[in-house]
Amino acid sequence: MADPATLVASLVYGILLGVVFAAIAHGLNLIWGVTKVVNAAHGEFIMLGAYGAYFLNLAWGLDPLLAALIDAALGMIVGVAFYFAFLHRELRGKERIGHQTEMVTLVATFGLALFLVNVTTLAWSMSPVGLRYNPGNAVLGGVTVPLGGVYVGIASLGIIAATHVFLTRTYLGNAVRAYSQDITAAKLMGVNPTTVAALATGLGFAMTMAGGALLTVYLRVGIRPDIGHLYAPISFVIVVLGGPGKMWGSLVGGITVGVLIDVLQVFIPTEFAYAAAFLLVIPVLALAPEGILR
Amino acid sequence: MRIIGSVWFRFREMRLRTLPSTLWKGWRSLGPTAQGLGIVLAVLGGLGPVLPVALFVFLILFMIYAAWAYSINLITGMTGYVSFGHVVFAGAGAYALAYGVTAWGIHPLAGVVAAGLTGALLALGVGVVTLRLRGAYFAIATLVTALAAVYIVSGTPALGDGSGIRFYLGFQIGTQYYAIWTLLASEIALTWWVTRGRIGLGLRALRDDEDAARAVGINVPRLKLFLYVLSGGFAGAAGSVFTWFNSSAFPDAFQLAYSLDMLAMIIIGGMGTLSGPWIGAVVVNVPRQTLLKLLPQGQPIVIGLLVILIALFLPGGIVGIIRKYIPEARRYLE
Repeated sequence: MADPATLVASLVYGILLGVVFAAIAHGLNLIWGVTKVVNAAHGEFIMLGAYGAYFLNLAWGLDPLLAALIDAALGMIVGVAFYFAFLHRELRGKERIGHQTEMVTLVATFGLALFLVNVTTLAWSMSPVGLRYNPGNAVLGGVTVPLGGVYVGIASLGIIAATHVFLTRTYLGNAVRAYSQDITAAKLMGVNPTTVAALATGLGFAMTMAGGALLTVYLRVGIRPDIGHLYAPISFVIVVLGGPGKMWGSLVGGITVGVLIDVLQVFIPTEFAYAAAFLLVIPVLALAPEGILR
Repeated sequence: MRIIGSVWFRFREMRLRTLPSTLWKGWRSLGPTAQGLGIVLAVLGGLGPVLPVALFVFLILFMIYAAWAYSINLITGMTGYVSFGHVVFAGAGAYALAYGVTAWGIHPLAGVVAAGLTGALLALGVGVVTLRLRGAYFAIATLVTALAAVYIVSGTPALGDGSGIRFYLGFQIGTQYYAIWTLLASEIALTWWVTRGRIGLGLRALRDDEDAARAVGINVPRLKLFLYVLSGGFAGAAGSVFTWFNSSAFPDAFQLAYSLDMLAMIIIGGMGTLSGPWIGAVVVNVPRQTLLKLLPQGQPIVIGLLVILIALFLPGGIVGIIRKYIPEARRYLE
């Protein structure tokens, strides 16, 4: 049976991990909430963010926190390009996003995912690479935790808080929220739908790729082209838990999933802990399809 | 008396004429596409006894992929609900057969039936919860179910703890060939049947506008669930033949790559059509079995690009393009 100390330790680890998950899922959440499109290639952009951190570390010895900043700038560019390549044709002029658009974008981004995984495998091979980032340990609530995890957690919280401030306190942020609620009304108020949707996609990608850089601290086995196959579903679970478009939903969902994975491992084998975290989606969809937040 | 006599005469005439003429009429009413597929299947079935082993292997693998394509076509092609985690049914079927054969010593054909039932039951469970929701939620729910299944299988000692189940049943390539042939033929017949009549019309309405279909009195949830359960059952049965053919089941059976292949086949071939999955299976599976040795990543890169281009610019896949630009070919490609 688990003793209290182990339980507290896994709770602290779970929260730290969950905050990073939240930062990753936040990008998906923003795009899904604003444009109503699910990006099936989300995991591949997490992977590109992680490789970005690795190569920046290799070239200039940057730590993942600084690399996340550069990744975010890259992500912004990639995201706007992605919007015009994949979403613009489908979203342009539409005031209600229907089943058809949803399916076309899902399938197209799925093709992108397939393409990106195999191109990166060809370029960088399946063998994992890792980067060294170990600023020491700290004691948090009687639990010794690696400082890297703490820094990364704080950075993730910063990303989420900054998005919140942007969306609620600035003119452009208000325009994004207006667009996500009612496209017709937003247009009547003088919001340019293309600008807003492109901006939201760009921001979403910036967060996704920065999140990928932050995640490298937790990738003990290393960075591989197929890490997206694990972290994209985790992001999907988090967004469904919190409810797409609800900005605090990512944080609540992320911490729920992180704590669930780490605390359940105390009681049951690791494999079942992950399975339980994934299957959590089914009862949530059955009972509260809008997410657990009201 | 005269009346009875004339009725008897007519009856006798009818009985004499009906059998061949109904058969002929039935064959004509299938339409050229179904006739063509029927002929190909008949040739494949008839060739069985004279095939060399190398071709057996090639055709079994091809037919497994085609069976998966027709299976995912039933739900994703017909209704537009993207099933990202379709491999979960194939994997569940694979483990059902492997477990049945090793633990209970059942005949592999009974294992295929059990695998089909397992897949159908699993689809029923997932479908009841998620088919009420919009397409994106369904896609996500199927994806995470597939992932959860990998972890559950890897952590269960009875299923080999992640190192898989191996079994050897002897050289049964002929039985395997006819098992997958039967599955494929029934799927094609089912697809043909589903695209006609009341169900076909209901499906077309559902795919264009679900709310409108609901409003004109189509029982949309029941229709989707019906197709999903059939789809899961066939995917499971085809997955079990794959396992039987490989004489082993590993957690790799749940690999996302299979899901992606299944989806790519119907996107490239043409969603919701009768001939599309077959064409998609040829495009995806034949190069894999012949050219793959040269450059393992080359094919998925090309397929990924094809999927993007088709989804954005040419919805309807190969079948859709041909039907659009060559109107004369429409009768032959449904």
